[in-house]
This record gives sequence, structure tokens and C-alpha cells, in this order.
Amino acid sequence: MRRLLEQARMISDKAELLSSRKVTNFVVFENGKLKNIDTKVQLGSSLRMIKDNKLGFAYTKNLRKRQELLENCKVSLKGQVDANFNFPLTKEYPKLRTYSVSLSALSNRDLVEECQRIGTFLRSKINGQFNITAGDSIERLHIMNSTGTDIRMRASQYVIAISLVYPNSYAALRRLFASKNFKQIQKKDLMMMIELYNQSSGTTKPDTKRLKVLFMPESMHTLTWRLQSATNGAAVYEKQSPLSDKLGEKLFSKELTLYNDPLNDDLPGARSVDDEATPCQYFPIVKNGVLSNFYYDLYYAQKSKAAPSGHGFKTAPWSDEAIALKPSPSLQHLHIKHGKKSFRQLIENMDKGIIVGGALGAHSGNIINGDFSIGLSPGLYVKNGEVIGRVKDAMVAGNIYETLQKIIAIEDTVHTTHTGVFPAILFDDVSVAASK
Amino acid sequence: MFNRLVSILSKVNADYSDIRHEIKKEVIISFNGRELTQLSSNSTDGYVLRVLKKGGLSSIAFSDHKDASKVIKSAEENALLISKNIDEPVMFAQSEIIVDSFLPELKEDPQNITIDEKLNLTRKYNDIPLCESKIATTNITYREIARDKYFANTEGSRIRERLTTTRINGSIISRDGNLLQNVRVGIGGSNGFAVLRDQEDEFEKRTSIALQLLKAHPVRAGVYNAILNQSLAGVFTHEAFGHFSEADLIENNISMREKMKIGEKLGNRAVSIIDDPTVPDLLGYYKYDDEGTKVKPTQLMKKGVLVGRLHSRRTAAAFKEPLSGHCVAEDYRYAPIIRMGNIFIQPGKYSLSDLLDKLGDGLYILDAKGGQTSGENFTFGAQYGYHIKNGKISKMVRDINVSGNLYKTLQNINAIGNDISWSKIGGCGKGQVNIRSCYGAPHVLVAGIVVGGR
Repeated sequence: MRRLLEQARMISDKAELLSSRKVTNFVVFENGKLKNIDTKVQLGSSLRMIKDNKLGFAYTKNLRKRQELLENCKVSLKGQVDANFNFPLTKEYPKLRTYSVSLSALSNRDLVEECQRIGTFLRSKINGQFNITAGDSIERLHIMNSTGTDIRMRASQYVIAISLVYPNSYAALRRLFASKNFKQIQKKDLMMMIELYNQSSGTTKPDTKRLKVLFMPESMHTLTWRLQSATNGAAVYEKQSPLSDKLGEKLFSKELTLYNDPLNDDLPGARSVDDEATPCQYFPIVKNGVLSNFYYDLYYAQKSKAAPSGHGFKTAPWSDEAIALKPSPSLQHLHIKHGKKSFRQLIENMDKGIIVGGALGAHSGNIINGDFSIGLSPGLYVKNGEVIGRVKDAMVAGNIYETLQKIIAIEDTVHTTHTGVFPAILFDDVSVAASK
Repeated sequence: MFNRLVSILSKVNADYSDIRHEIKKEVIISFNGRELTQLSSNSTDGYVLRVLKKGGLSSIAFSDHKDASKVIKSAEENALLISKNIDEPVMFAQSEIIVDSFLPELKEDPQNITIDEKLNLTRKYNDIPLCESKIATTNITYREIARDKYFANTEGSRIRERLTTTRINGSIISRDGNLLQNVRVGIGGSNGFAVLRDQEDEFEKRTSIALQLLKAHPVRAGVYNAILNQSLAGVFTHEAFGHFSEADLIENNISMREKMKIGEKLGNRAVSIIDDPTVPDLLGYYKYDDEGTKVKPTQLMKKGVLVGRLHSRRTAAAFKEPLSGHCVAEDYRYAPIIRMGNIFIQPGKYSLSDLLDKLGDGLYILDAKGGQTSGENFTFGAQYGYHIKNGKISKMVRDINVSGNLYKTLQNINAIGNDISWSKIGGCGKGQVNIRSCYGAPHVLVAGIVVGGR
């Protein structure tokens, strides 16, 4: 790797090399039956070179073709993409506990047995379909640049995802559990979703009007996606954020605090530096309803004359091939601060309303304007503080800059989801449409 | 190449195994506004091994052929682990042994076009919206992906297939004060670079819509009778119906499998649906899927009755239904799964004007902006729409997302247009992204669509 970086440096002014080796295993159970075991052994490198303040980028999964990687990066330089930044010299950074050696001993047989144990329990509690996916991954990451940074990271992750599926659909109540090492799920952690599932076995129809709406953690990305879009340094620079001139303004309910916390190594995936080796930090986006910060990578920080905030990650929607992507501003460790009400109290607070258990089409609509309009997958109807059934053929719609001003209460517990760590949040006066 | 693949297969101790090696070449040119933010040209490769042993099927994707021995061992262990923990052993439907090389002719191979020409063409289209003062910015990307695939299995099949996909797509963002609107734009195909030329009109049209949306009103939430244009009707066909014609999505969902029984009357007599990846010049064109099966046109619905299904070798055997050749992977990182190729609603007899007359009052909803399905329920976004009064197109509306029930909607398709049109850009994300997933439809008239709005 070092030789490759030196070769790149010889044909450019600055160079950066990121290499990854990742082994993942997934075990998939559908309807209580083992369906699939999937393993991936993936390695690769991506190279960035800066020459005459212009940026080149290339990647390969085949490290025997180093010359081709260099040639491709030279071709990329011809694009004349501006790069008036330097790769950082990062020597001091927090030492995080991101790897658990015990995970390397976990076998696919252990994953199968854990899924079977959970399956036996669920079968005794619900009369319906459930799906379980369990997996583990171990990744080694190595970032070097010509400024002198040389950082190696190793991370382990165990995840198990459980879905309680409603008939005739894939609408489901879902829970995700993630840790750095293998942890058996406690049955008590599943009881709330089991209770909700059993309470919503029948279907019902709400009137089409404005109601209280409770977003569960698994549907919260509907709202956070739009806020992430608007606070992204790239969107601000490109004039496609409605928030570009609103830093410091109180835009949302004072209960709302949204932050990025890559340094919390109690959770898997913690990072001391981003994919550009900029040190990561605790980073508030919204604090007590006030817009606090926009987040940047090196490229957009340079463009915006802002400081890089440690948010340059190789990620993009619908892509899991990090090595093939150039870094862009990204919130990879998003949290919403918990509130004071239990989940049960939130439901009791609803005279009439909808629980959004899952969102269908969260990626559709005018995201940059903050608009959302989602199918309910599922939606549970609450009357007088009790779940009375499941709503079919219904939608919830609004604009986050209105909805996030109407927070009634926030759950006192946070839950890990695929898109962040969130509590459930109850909102007032949200538009609901349903077929007659 | 085949020698290396056969050598790896020879070391596998199993009832069946196959291996796919892919060399993927990719060119990306991206503009954000007037700024070029990426120009890159990459070539990489990888392998996917599948092993069927004692009734257990497992797969492993790997990057380095030197890992083959370890990978084979893991694949065999995983297959045995599966075999010990399933009720019914996995069987494969019989498939023809094929030795062939399929390198479709392109109308200008993009690999023969200079990167400067690609850059200039992308810049030319990107500049069209940016001439307008109320266009805040654009995100426009040229992407070219060539997959050179080599497939071998222990039955003797040896297939080379090259699939090349090109497109220029992205979004045009208009702004008036704090109001932001965005419109998707996309041109492309699987038959060569020529399809990207002379497309200025498309970028001008989409720019005009982005500007008009600044003056449009948000749609009111409610239940409407509506005409869906070709793009939206195509997304409905793909999202709401097509996915549940994929056998792997319903095989373990008892209620969905019961509902999607062959012979069930699920839709209006007007509705017939086919998936046909064998049509050259359509985006989803291919000859062999990623388990070496020759693809064939598959009628899925005929006059409202479910008559067929899309299959892999595994599901065709499990369902005891004909093999269709629809088991496709995104690339060298994935085992193949069942995917649609070119799915479409067969055209009817009505012109758009006829459909507007039949609608009377309602909505005319145009152009897909993402969609998702969850069994019988689906949701998809539309880029814009119009109120229809007495069969006449009236005011433009925005912020339209549509939701519905698959079975009710199939019954509520009351009339079908005669003007089929096909998608030019793919991107279905069923665990993997299929950039060649293609749908087609004419205009359709549907009763009782739920529209979310403020």
C-alpha cells in the first residue's frame, strides 16, 4: 500500500489511499424457516490524487492491477475537478473501542441457532409471520495520505433484525439490535412490538383528516432524511437547501435535539476519523429546536470556506460499495435526543391518531423542500389511548418544517435503526388520507 | 478465463456448483450546477460462487481468486448448514446446457467514445436548465457500466455475456424564495451511446416543468379517480404487481402466495401484463440470466387472470412452474436473485383524449418519482399532475404521492390507452440495484387512488 501511495505521489502533488477488507455473513430466516446464508469477502482500494489543485479519483477491487488504478486516476485528473484543499495530517485522534475479538469466533451455526431461539419464542407469542436476519461483519480500514497520515482501524459488528409481518403484505413491525459483539436478545426487548402486533391484527379505517401521528423509530428516517438533506454542506453550497440562511434560528419545537455522535463506541461503527482522515466529533445539527450546524467534507468545506467537520464518508443512497465512491458529506452516526415519556404514555396521549410503524415511499416526493407523503407500512389506529387496529390504504403527509414544530412528546428511550438512533416522537395535527 | 473458473469448480465437493466472474468497467461524469465534481473511469472485477450440496444452496462473493480455496470451504460448510436446517431440500429445475458468447451489437459502443466527448455532451445537457434564472442548480451524471460476464457450471454451461448500459440522468432544481422544486430527468438505454445524442428537447421539457412547478399548488389529500401517464402506470406495473410475480418474494409469505395463485382473477379484464427481456433496444434486454438460463418472454397476467411467474432454477422447481430465466445479479458482489427485465401492460384501444373524456373530473398524474411496495400496498411519487374538469386539463398540482392496494387497483383499472412508452433509466433496489430494470405502459384510467397531500 505504501509503495502504491508513493507511486501516486510521484505523478501528482498530493495523494490519498483508502484500503478496505471486509468479511460479512448473513443468515436469513423467512416465516421461521432458514432461507439463505450469504457470505462476502470483499477487498479494495480507492485512490485520490491532487495535481495543480485538480482532483483525480479511482478505485479497484483487484489489487494486482495497481498500474491500472494509477492510470485511471490520471485519466480522472483530466476532468479538472477543483481541489483547493489538502489531505489532513492527522496524528492525534480519540482511540475508540470498535473491535471485539470475540466476534471473530462467531460462526454461521451460532447465527442460525440464535435465529431459531428467537423464532421459537415468537412462535409462542404471535399468530402470524415473522422474519429474522442475523449477521456479522469484520472490517479493516487503512487510510494513508501523502501529508503523513497513516491510520488503521478495525471494526466488528453483530446485527439481528426482526420483523413481525402482517398478512397479505410485507408491512411489518421491525426492530434492529446492533452491537460490537454477539449478544443474545432479551425476550423483554421484544414484548412491546409483540403487544403492538397482536393489538393491530384487525383492520380499521380512520377519517381523512388531520390527526396526532406517532412516528416510531423505524419510520423516523422519513423526517430525518429531509433534514439531513437540508443541512448537508453540499446542498447549502449548491443553493438547494431551504435552510441556507437560517443558522442560529429556532425552527423546530424546543424538544428536538438532533446530533451526530461518531465517538460513542458503546455502539458499533464508531469512528475517530472520517474516510478522509479528518477527526470526527460530537456534532449538534439541531439543539433545542435551534439550527446549529451544517456538515462538511473536505471538498465542500473548501468550496464554502468552512471548516471540514469530519463528515466525509464514502456513502450514497442505495449503494453499499464504499470503495467505489468518493467521499461526500454524510451523517453516519445520527441521534435524536430522548424525551421524558414512555412509549406507552405516548400512545395514551392520543385521543385519536395514527402510529407510523413503517414508511412506504420515504424516498419519494420533494425531499429538498422538506415535503413527505408516505404510505403506512404498517399504520396502527389509536382511539382513546389504545391501539384498535391496523389502517390499510392510507397515507400521512406534511412538510418537516411544519411537522417538527408540532412535537407533543418524545419517548424516553432511544432505539437503533438502520438510519440512526431514535426515540418515537408524537406530533400533532398531521394530514392523513385514507380510502373510504 | 473459463479455464480458471473450471479449475475452481473442480475443487468443489458438491452436487452442483457454478461460478461467475465479472469484469466491470464504469465511467462517471458528474455535474453539480456548473461545477464538474467527478470524472472517473474504473475497471475492476470479482467472483460469485454458488454451491448446492445435500439440498442446501449457498453463495459467496469474493474479490481475489487466491481466496478461492477458503471460499470453497466456507461455501460447502454453509450449504451443509442450510441442508441440516431446512424441511425441503433445494432442487434446481432442469436447464439447457449452453455454450455461447453473447456480445450484443451496440449503436456506438461507449468504450469507443472519448471521455472528452462524453464530458462535452453531459455539459451541454447540464447547461440547458442552468440558463434559466429560477433554476437553482442541477445534479446531472453520465454513467456507463459495461459488465463482461463469464459463467460456468458443473453441468457444462460456459457463457460469456456483455451488458453495456449508458445514461445521463439527475435532477433539475428550481427555486423561488424558500420554495424548492425538483424534477428528474433521464435519457439512456442498453443499446449504445447513440441513444444519448440529440436529446436537448428532453432537458428543455424537464426544465420547463421545474419552472412551472414553482407556480403550482400542492394537491389536496383525498381519494381521486385518475389517469396515470405511461411512466406512472409503468411504475405501478413494476412496483405493485411485478415484484409479487417474482417467486422469491412470495415463496415464504403464505398469505401472499395464496393470493398470487396461478389462475386467480386479480385484475380487470382490460389488464394483461408481460415481462419480455428478449426485445432488443429495450433497457432490460439480455439473453442469459446469471445462472445460465436462456430468458424467455413470460406472460404474467392475461385479461386480469394470473397466468405466470418469474423464476430462478430453485423457485421454478419449488413451485413446479416453468423456468423463465429471470435470476439476475447487480454485479460481481452479489448472488443472483429474481428480477424483472422489461415488464409492461399490453396496450388497449383508447387515446389520451378518450381517457380524459371517460375521467370527467379527477387528476392526471405524470412521471414517476420513486416507488415502493409492501405486499398488497404500494406507494409511489409523481413529479407533477393536473386537475381535470369535464375532461379538460386544468391547473398544475405538485407534491403528489399516491398509495393504493394492489388488488383493488388492478380491479379499478377501467380503461387502457394505446400509447405505450418505455422507461430509459433503471434502478430498482430489491437488495441489489438493477440499473437495467425496465417498465412500459400506456396511459391508464384508475378509480379510487389515495393521494397524500396537505
